[in-house]
Amino acid sequence: MSMGRVRMGGKSRIGILIAVVCIGAATLAGLYVAYQDDSYPSTDSAAIDAELVHVASVVGGRLIDLPVHENQHVHKGELLYRLDPEPYALTVRQAEANLALATAELENQRRLLAVRTAQAATARDQVTRAQTNRDLTDRTVARLAPLASHAYVPLQQYDQAKVARNDAEISLSQARQQSAAADVAIGDLASATATQAASQAALDRARYELRQTTVTAPADGYVTSLRVKAGEVLAPSQVLFTLIADDAWYAVANLRELTLPMVHPGDCATVYSMIDRRTPIQGRVESIGWGVLSADSAGLARSLPLVPRQMDWVHVAQRFPVRVRLQGAAPTLLRMGATATVEIRHGAACP
Amino acid sequence: MRQKSFCFFFSSKRTTLLPLLALNGCALHGAPSFPIVGAYFPAWMLCALTGVAVAVGLRVVFLLTGIDALLSFRLFTYVALGTLAALALWALAFGP
Repeated sequence: MSMGRVRMGGKSRIGILIAVVCIGAATLAGLYVAYQDDSYPSTDSAAIDAELVHVASVVGGRLIDLPVHENQHVHKGELLYRLDPEPYALTVRQAEANLALATAELENQRRLLAVRTAQAATARDQVTRAQTNRDLTDRTVARLAPLASHAYVPLQQYDQAKVARNDAEISLSQARQQSAAADVAIGDLASATATQAASQAALDRARYELRQTTVTAPADGYVTSLRVKAGEVLAPSQVLFTLIADDAWYAVANLRELTLPMVHPGDCATVYSMIDRRTPIQGRVESIGWGVLSADSAGLARSLPLVPRQMDWVHVAQRFPVRVRLQGAAPTLLRMGATATVEIRHGAACP
Repeated sequence: MRQKSFCFFFSSKRTTLLPLLALNGCALHGAPSFPIVGAYFPAWMLCALTGVAVAVGLRVVFLLTGIDALLSFRLFTYVALGTLAALALWALAFGP
């Protein structure tokens, strides 16, 4: 018993030393690894992402030609589908006829304007004539007045001269009014010109809608969620399928806010698509998300703030999406939504 | 980069406990996420399992070699050794 205690006591010193060294080393290693983990963030819950185009035409109609099929790769400008152009071609013809009508009406109005201009000139000449007559009758009255006062001419003649002068005065006044009215009546071509411009715009719009019956690829990409065949009738702006643009691929890595100070746009990143977890893909951090919807701030903007009663002592760190642009990855590794692993500033692709 | 240097350790003349870990590190190249029957398990879980295995293994080895008799605070010592193994694997195989 006492022997055993002495033996244990004798060996416990080196045992304690070993225990202290081991625990100390484990603590230091734990701190080191924690520091490294914070400095070089990584996540295994990223996703491969790309940009989408929901392919639709702004006009509706019957789908008559659908040369693409599901999962096909298309190039920018390639024909995707065609709607029946006939109704839109008919609208174009109608608009062309309307434009011709408006143009003819403009020519008509131009001729009438020339006529009215000539009439106004005639009316001005009539004023001159009336003025000349009035002046003559004035002079006649002035000449006869002294003669009539000495009875060298009959009073009747003098009276007739005065009446003639009054007539001439009224004629002049009427001629002036007619001339003014004729000047006003000339008008201009504004109305006919505007009608022609409106018809031209309607024709342009009809031609635009006719062009929209042919839908071409807005970018290089893959046709997805295409489930219909030619013959389907589409409403205006109805989405027929989704095009996954393949000119740029991204990994969206949700990183905890604590590690965001260590992430900078332009940082190298190693991305593994889990389609082939052995092939590293090089990426560059492009941007860090500026906002996520938080459960604490959710609520109607016009309503009162929604503040839950709580007594939480532990708060889980918020994560923000970090957008990593992938460079030179094999197309077979890139499928939108694929699980990915992202390592910022370390890993096989970042020397 | 880091994994390559680790493999370099393995192929060089270092002959301590590194070769065992190096074997792991070189076999693990690829994403730090391991698919098992359709689910992905994180690298730290592999490290933790390795730590447990190393602690148990060392306990057996120390018992057989009599080193165990020298120790006191055995629980803490073995836990610390297992933790060290797990952290070393993480730092060498998965860290920056």
